[in-house]
This record gives sequence, C-alpha cells and structure tokens, in this order.
Amino acid sequence: MALDQLTEMIQRCRVIPEDGFKVEDYEIFQKAGKNCLEEMKTAEILDIIKEEKNKVIIKCMGWNLLGPLIKIVLKKDKTSLQHCLSMLTHILELCSPKEVLLGLLEQIEDADMDKIAETIVLLLQPLQTVLLKLGKKKPPSVGMSLSTILNQISQLPVPYTQEQEEDDAHGLCQCCVALLTFTKPFVEEVQQSYTNKVVGDMEELRNELLKFCIKCLSNPLLHAQLEKVPEVADEMPMRRVATEIVEILCCTGESLPALIFHRLLSKKEEPGFLEEDAKYSKDSLACLSYLIFVQHMGMDKFPLVFSPEFILHCNILHIETLMKRKEESVLSKALDLFEKTLLRTNQNSVTVQFLEITCFLSVPQALVQIMTLCPIQHLRTKGLQIFQLYIDIFDVEGKHKLFRCLLEVSHHAGVEGYIIQNIKKQIDLALKPDNGNLWFSGAALLPLLRLVLFLPQGPETDLLQNLDRIMESLNLLRYLLIRDKEYDNQTGIWTELYKIEDNFLKPLHTGLNMSKAHYEAELKNTKENKKHRESKEENPLCTLSVAGEKLPNMTTEMQLQVLQSAMFTFDLIESVLARIEEIIEVKAKK
Amino acid sequence: MAAEPVQEWSEEQLKSDSLQKKDIIRFLQENAADSFLSEHKLMGSIKNVAKTAKKEHLITAYEDLFKNKRFKGSDSTESAVSKMKEVKIDDKAKEATQEEAVHEGPPKYKKSILKKGDKVNFPKKGDTVSCWYKGTLEDGTVFDSNIATSSKKKKATKPLSFKVGVGKVIRGWDEALLTMSKGEKALLEIDSEWAYGKKGNPEAKYPLCSYNVGTGLCFSLWKPYSFVL
Repeated sequence: MALDQLTEMIQRCRVIPEDGFKVEDYEIFQKAGKNCLEEMKTAEILDIIKEEKNKVIIKCMGWNLLGPLIKIVLKKDKTSLQHCLSMLTHILELCSPKEVLLGLLEQIEDADMDKIAETIVLLLQPLQTVLLKLGKKKPPSVGMSLSTILNQISQLPVPYTQEQEEDDAHGLCQCCVALLTFTKPFVEEVQQSYTNKVVGDMEELRNELLKFCIKCLSNPLLHAQLEKVPEVADEMPMRRVATEIVEILCCTGESLPALIFHRLLSKKEEPGFLEEDAKYSKDSLACLSYLIFVQHMGMDKFPLVFSPEFILHCNILHIETLMKRKEESVLSKALDLFEKTLLRTNQNSVTVQFLEITCFLSVPQALVQIMTLCPIQHLRTKGLQIFQLYIDIFDVEGKHKLFRCLLEVSHHAGVEGYIIQNIKKQIDLALKPDNGNLWFSGAALLPLLRLVLFLPQGPETDLLQNLDRIMESLNLLRYLLIRDKEYDNQTGIWTELYKIEDNFLKPLHTGLNMSKAHYEAELKNTKENKKHRESKEENPLCTLSVAGEKLPNMTTEMQLQVLQSAMFTFDLIESVLARIEEIIEVKAKK
Repeated sequence: MAAEPVQEWSEEQLKSDSLQKKDIIRFLQENAADSFLSEHKLMGSIKNVAKTAKKEHLITAYEDLFKNKRFKGSDSTESAVSKMKEVKIDDKAKEATQEEAVHEGPPKYKKSILKKGDKVNFPKKGDTVSCWYKGTLEDGTVFDSNIATSSKKKKATKPLSFKVGVGKVIRGWDEALLTMSKGEKALLEIDSEWAYGKKGNPEAKYPLCSYNVGTGLCFSLWKPYSFVL
C-alpha cells in the first residue's frame, strides 16, 4: 500500500524539475517512505534510491528517510542491515550535506538513553563525511556537531573503577574513542595551517576544537579514572582520551601555561559571554592542571622556568575549585594535584605574604573538612599527609601565621592536637643551637602559646571531646618546662607561667574533679540499676540507626565499659598534669 | 579591653548636613567590631561605603553600636583571617628580617653576554618581557626550550612572555633578566638555590638530583627578549 503510493508519487515527480516539487510531494515521500521501511521493504526502497532516474528526487528529499533508516539499523536485523547501510551511503552521496547534517544531528539528539552510545558510534563516520564535504564553511557545523555529541555523552555515567571501564556497560569509553577518530581530520587541518602559514583562515575551526577539548575536560574526563594502570599493557581508554585531548589542545596552538595561569592572571571574573565561559570553565582548567602536573601529559610543552611558588599559587585556585565537590573521583584528583604541587615546592620556601591571599587559607580549611568529615577513608588519610606537606612549605613566619589561623578556625580537637604537635616540632627546631628563629621562641611565640595553653570553655570544657587537644597541649607544656631552662627562658614560658596556671592548669584541675565525680556517680548508678534490671526487660528510651540499620541497644555491660574507659582517660590526663606540676614545684623551690 | 568610645554626636548633630557621611563611617570603622560592620555592610574603603550607604542607615548603625555595645574587641569569634592581618610583627623581628635580606650575599648565577643589547631598554619589575631560551644541564642535555629545531615547526612557536621580577619564574631568571637590555643574548649559569632548589624539578625528564647539584642549571638565552608593551 505505502509502496504503491511511493512509486506512484515518484513516477509523477520524475518529470518535474528540481525546484518544482510541491510540499505535498515531500509529505508523501516522507510518510510513505517511512511506512515502507517500517514494513521492512528495505530491498524495494534501496532499488528506488539507486535508480538513476530518481536521482533528483532523492537529492531533494532523501534526507527525510534518515530517521526511520537509522532506527532500523539500530535493530540490527540481519536481512535488512546491508540494504539500510547502502541506502545511507547513497543518501550521503546524493543529498545536500547541510540537510543530511541536520538529519544526523537530530537522530543523535533524539536518541533514547539506552541507545545513545550506539547511535553516536554508528553516526560519527557519516557525520564526518558530511562535514568534510562542507569544505571551508564547516567550522560552525563542526562545533555544533561536537557540542551535540558531548551533550549526549554527558548523560552517560562515567566508569570509575577499572572493571567498570573494561565492561563499558554504557558505551561511554567506546564513544569517546570514536570521537577522537572523528576529530582527527579537523585537527590535522588546523595543524597543517601552521606549516602553510594560513593560520588566519583556521581561526574558527581552531576555536571549535578548543571548545571541544575544554568541554571534554570537565565532562567526562574530570570524573574518570585517569591514572596509569600498571598491570595493563594497553592504555585504558579514558586515559588515552585524556592524552589525546591534551595533544589536540596543543595542536590548536593554545598555550598550556596560558590556560593554567588564566585564573590567576585574568583580573575580571565577571560571568561573560557564554563562549568565554566555556573556554575558561573552572572545572576544565582544574582538570587540565591535574593532567599536566599529576599525569605529566603535555609536560614537554610546559616551560620549566616558572617558579614553584607561582605554580603553587595558580594550582591552589584549581585545587580550591575541585575541593568544593563531593564526588570521590573529583576529590581524589584535588588531593593528587595538591600533593604533587606541594612536592615540587621547596620546604620552608613560601613566605608569609602568600597567606594574605584568601585561597592560601581557605584551601587548608577545606582540607581539614576532608580530613575530618569525608566518608571515604583513603581520602581522609591522604588529606592528613597533604596537610603536613602544606605546613612544611612555609617559612617560619608563614608557619607561625598558618598555625594561628588554623587553630582559630578548625574547631576539631584532633586537628588542633595535630597543629600543636607541629608547633612543638618547630619550637624544638628553634631551640637547637644555631637554629634560632624569631617566630618560635621569645616574644612572637607567646601569642601562639596562648592559643594553645588554655581550656576553650574553662572548667566546663568537655574533656573527652577535647582529649586530643588537651593531651597535646599538656605534652607541649611539659616539653617546654623540661627543655627550656628557667634561667634561659628562650621561649618565655617561665614568665608566662602564672597566666598558664590560671587559664589552663587550674581550670583543668577543676574540670577533672567535676568530670570524675560525675562519671563515678554515673558508674555507681549503672551498677545499681543493673541489679534491679536483671529481672525485667526494659524498653529503651531511644533507638539509633546507622545507614538504615538499627543499632542494638547498649547493654548495661557496654555502658559500664564506656564509663570505665572515660575514667581511665581522666586518670591519664591527671598523670601528665601531675608531672607538670611537679616540675613547676621543683623549679619554684630552687 | 580598651575604654569604650564616647558617643560624641547627638541625634540632631547626626541628622544635620554639617556632619558628613564619611565621618560617621570613619568613626564606625574605627570603633565597631568587624562582625558589626559586616552585618551593616560597612566594610571596605570609606569612599565606597559612602557611595552605597544612605545617611539614615548610618545613623541607625551608629545608635545600634552604642545600644548593643558592639565595639572593637567585643567579638569572640572575629574571623581568623582578619585577625591574623592585624598581627603586628615585632619591631625587633622586622629589623632582623630586613637585615637578613641585605646580607644575602652575591647573586647565585653567572652571566656571560653573548651579544650586547641596546643598553637603553632595561625592564623594570613588573614589565612583561618575551624571550627565547634553551635550558641545558651541565652535560649539555637540553631539558627545556622554546626554540623550534625544525624549520617546519618554527611558525608555531612563540617567545615566552611573562612579568619579570615578581616571582613568576625561577629566581635566577627573574634577577638576571633585570640586568639585560633589549636584544641582549646571554648565557646564564644558575645555582640550584636560585633555580629549582635541592629537589630539582620533578617534572623534568632529567631530574636535577641525578646531576651535580652544586653547580645547578645552565640557562642559555639564545635570543634576546624584547619588550611587549
């Protein structure tokens, strides 16, 4: 039925010149053609398309068949597949490239979620053919195609583990690799323009490729696992994609340093035109920095003469961007980039002036957040290592300031304890002969000590919560009193002692007594209750669930254990405190 | 804590035109706590605040300040950043650091001029310079260069441009470039201390540490820099 209709229409149109076709003819062709294909009359349609006499008709209307044709190809029916592919080739040859281009892009855009990868992989080759046919007029079309494809790809989940990447269940890797082949002729064209001195003409195409690379960097590359996998002989696909994207970037004549330094050197940060935004997307530049400094891609094109401090400053902006994210893939890139950047910076070389720059204080704070709150264990551990590396790069004055800032903002006893340890290390260094510095001894040290040697909330401070901090503070004080002789008083601790007693030791004593009394009473109560309760089962006051699982109620034994361990902790604090008071007393007697 | 400031202007004085916005802002900035200032959007240079704030707003803030006694130092949780900026370096410490800078000794690089420059156009700190360079290790291994070797690639390369004297490049470069004039070509031999430090450059294909650290790097500036203004 549909075939008859189509044949009839074609017979009629054969005698009409190219510009004489009516709107109705187009409609019949599209509708009947579509129906025929759906009825799987692929052989017949192929004959119509191949027929020399129908050339003009196909040239004008053929592209309307792209949609139904591609749907059938994706069904992978054995008998019709060959016919369809031949039809596709014919349409590509005959029809106006502009119309075919739109037809193809429409198919990519409308692809169902589960068919995205397949559709893209199928259509990249025809798309490339059509684009190349456009000649000099192609840059906008290349740009449009690349952005359409990337938009579709961005809907696919990015594989993260090696197994996921090998499985490539959603076809993302396959798409990306095919996309590289797709861009090759365009990249070569731009490259050749440099040799033939016709760079001016290529400006547009160059820009389109640049936009493509930048877009690729933020998605999918930012989310992919790009480390070298040692046991695997071939490079993993996403890493290969990353390598090539950096190469394409270089081929477009874009300078890598200019991109990496852009955040720092461009003064205005107004949300400009869309194009500019895309070119300098923060995520993309950060990912590029990761590829260069962690994966060493394009490193041979990166001048080595820049000072480590300058690179640190640029990269810390990128790190800040990445640390704002929550995804493991992005956070681990942030930490890797941070680590590598710090390792290439010399220890004790960064001056205090850098701490006037906001990001030099906000990034360590973000790092503290990761160290203390990130649910992923290996990131927390790595965070702590980096924290130490960060402290190490500053000169003494810088360290002094950094410690003060961090003590004021970290609000985490563990982190504070760690900083106090570092302060002790610095004082120890400063007290060594010929090593003296003005920041960890004498007048400058006292303000720092005052931040350490006190109880945040006086005697009411929660001693268990603040245990790490309190123990480290006591350790530091004990160290100072033993190491720094009263007649030397290099650290000024001896003149400060009366204040420390008032602000720290006395309140701590009171606090300890109160806490111990409280816990002792609690212990006694629980023990007594235990005797009563053994006979009857009691309903708990509240229940606690973690990750959807209800935790078992605390048994009385467990409660007793917790209370007992608290008592031990108080004893521990008390013993160090007693030792300190002993030292003070001995000196006082002298 | 310092004595509380005195409420020197009456309500009428505040409203009269003889009292300028600037004066109120100055008083508030000098006497109010940072958190108070930021609540009332009074941070920043007096000129800018005066532009954005209305007089009635300032009067309310002024009265609020005395009513709630939000003077400087009343904040327990002033942000660490701003506090840290106030930390004054001890005078003694300052003198000593300055002395240190003076006593740093001779430059840690050796410069041999290969071709004289125009001796007129010397760059100042912060000027943008462009240069062609080739970096070699002691044994002649080229580890970095922006001079194209094949004539084919020549058109694609550009001189390296950056602001000189402000710490963007390794110290040896920063200091040596300031002594060079337009068109000059020179060989620089830079001590590791003014190059990449003891660590060397981890990204370089030829890490410095495997060579003699003492003499460090040689940079040859094959082509002169020229000003890009």
